[in-house]
Amino acid sequence: MNLILQGLALGVLTGGLYALLASGLSLYFGVMRVVMVAHPAFLFLAAYLTYTVHTAFGVDPFLALPVTVPVFFALGVAVQRLLVARLAPDNLAMMSVLLTFGIALTIEGLLGTFYTGSYRSISMEYATRSLTVGGVSLPYDRIIAFAVAALTLGVLFAVLVKSRFGRALRATIQHPEAARLVGIPTGRVAGYGFGVGLATAAVGGTVLALITPFFPASHWVWIGKLMAIIVVGGLGSVVGAALAAVLLGVVEGLVLVTVDATWATMMFYVFLFLTLLARPQGFFGGRLAHRF
Amino acid sequence: MARVHQVLAIISLCALGLTACAKTDEPGAAQSPGQQQGAVRVGISLPLTGDFSEPGKGIQEGYQVWADRVNAKGGLLGRKVELLFRDDASDPNRVSSDYESLITQDKVDLVFGPFSSRLVIPAAKVAESYDMVFVEPAGAAAEVFEQGFTRLFYAAPAIADDHYNYLADYLVKLPADQRPKTAAYASLDDPFAQGTAYGLRDRLAAAGIETVVDEVYPPETTDFAPIAAKIAAANPDLVVGGTQFEDAVGLVRALQELKVQPKLAAFSTGPTLPEFPEAVTGAAEHIVSPVGWSATADLPGNQEMVARYKEMFGGEPNEDAANGYTVGQIIEAAVAAVRCADPSKACQDKLTQHIRQATFQTVVGPLSFDDQGRPEQAHMIQQYVNGKIEIVLPEQAETADLVYPKRAW
Repeated sequence: MNLILQGLALGVLTGGLYALLASGLSLYFGVMRVVMVAHPAFLFLAAYLTYTVHTAFGVDPFLALPVTVPVFFALGVAVQRLLVARLAPDNLAMMSVLLTFGIALTIEGLLGTFYTGSYRSISMEYATRSLTVGGVSLPYDRIIAFAVAALTLGVLFAVLVKSRFGRALRATIQHPEAARLVGIPTGRVAGYGFGVGLATAAVGGTVLALITPFFPASHWVWIGKLMAIIVVGGLGSVVGAALAAVLLGVVEGLVLVTVDATWATMMFYVFLFLTLLARPQGFFGGRLAHRF
Repeated sequence: MARVHQVLAIISLCALGLTACAKTDEPGAAQSPGQQQGAVRVGISLPLTGDFSEPGKGIQEGYQVWADRVNAKGGLLGRKVELLFRDDASDPNRVSSDYESLITQDKVDLVFGPFSSRLVIPAAKVAESYDMVFVEPAGAAAEVFEQGFTRLFYAAPAIADDHYNYLADYLVKLPADQRPKTAAYASLDDPFAQGTAYGLRDRLAAAGIETVVDEVYPPETTDFAPIAAKIAAANPDLVVGGTQFEDAVGLVRALQELKVQPKLAAFSTGPTLPEFPEAVTGAAEHIVSPVGWSATADLPGNQEMVARYKEMFGGEPNEDAANGYTVGQIIEAAVAAVRCADPSKACQDKLTQHIRQATFQTVVGPLSFDDQGRPEQAHMIQQYVNGKIEIVLPEQAETADLVYPKRAW
């Protein structure tokens, strides 16, 4: 019983991390139907930059965020304006897979060149301890990850719902032509949307760096997991992705403690299949990306 | 259109045929065995890019250090050694075509193996089909030796299943009141990693140490906390990880977080890498691992290799470099014994027969092989003691005593 509670607790915490890592992906898809295979590569790029800031200045990895978040926002705008916006619109989803696959390989290659293929890791004193509540251990690094994820997603949600930019972005997502008709510069808004997506990657990368050691090819294992999450959540729906992330985190945790790790990993794909069979628009989103 | 294609196909076939003929007409190719002059050319394909690029480079450096030493003292049978490297990008298809062309086009005299079981098997198939002796530095999985290869030899002390033998002997011999009673195993779904953990599990289970957790996780696993939760629930005396690097670190951290305090913790590869202690901050103390080679061991040629490596590449060699070097040492001794180094079947047969029955003094210790090419020795056991890696088993190689039970992490 205790083991199941433990699995549940770990699942919720890990789910929060997944929500943070996947949030950018659903933004890209929502904004422009872009399938961003390079998102995990950017996560690890952020992890490496965090590592550099941490080792060069000896500061807490989270202090890298004021540097990496703006840099990634600018990078996102640049990638969208200079590359993605030039893809042929009639085959965008397919072409964006190819383009971003290329970007992922480029990032991996550059990381290999600058940081070599050896493993890097950031290990903080607090990352190996845990809080015990009623026989259930809650690791501090997971609690931090969950809190950072909740904060980031909260800010993201507030921006999308409350701000003028958020409204413009949502209009662009829901109906680009209509948005253009009412005077929204959809091209520029899409660029900023992409920037916001990559900015979440900067935060996600810092959290990842705290939790796991990494090397240039680490991003591959995340692509499938994160894609499964946004499909189950409903493509383009940030809230849907967050709920799906927590759901899948919990399912993974519970299956891991009751069955085994192979089945737990497979759960992502089982849910992906079930979603595509039963509800292709996703379980939490409405019709493609019409809701947040 | 179809006609054009047909014509093109015929032309290219003819062109291929012509090049093939041209190749056989090259001077020197038809020379009879044993009379070849010039360098001894060694063909090698390695994963210099892709998944295995780090260990691939290590092996390449080991080969280069060996060739450099051999050439400095006059070469093999008075002929210089020349290494021909190909990059197979960690791709099992590329590795086959690399060896195919090294043997048929470049007409190398000898071949050395690539890195890792996944590439060794396809490479060895090619070498077998051309009757070339195939000594390889990294292919320890059980499957490698079940393919019916007759010319393959693995140049390291032990196959995966035997890595922990010294540790198993030690634990089984402990007095009953100190002996661990329960053990938890978590292993990566990989033939090599599983082999190491299961080798120990089977030995300990036979001696009555109960297996309380036996988990296998796929390579995509990123979250080790739930696995650690299972281990925590069983509260074992012994934790054994059939791990590589990321999962070893992930497991150690998760076990710490879930307050699992075993009397002994053993992880396969991972703790042997220099990045490990930093990645687990302080938790490395008293973790044990099997290790095939040690820079400080007093074995024939070891100090010379370490010094030469430092001179050529700077820094310390790693186990991969040592394994590459070991391949060279075995071939060097075999060539000296049978007095030939050419690709003819007669010479390759003699080399194979010699390697099968002889014992070789190498930088990883004395090596001998069984009929399938498995080495017949065991790995040493290392442990972090006061922050330093010490060899704790077997007794004749130890630099410190094994600390058991371990300190809490």
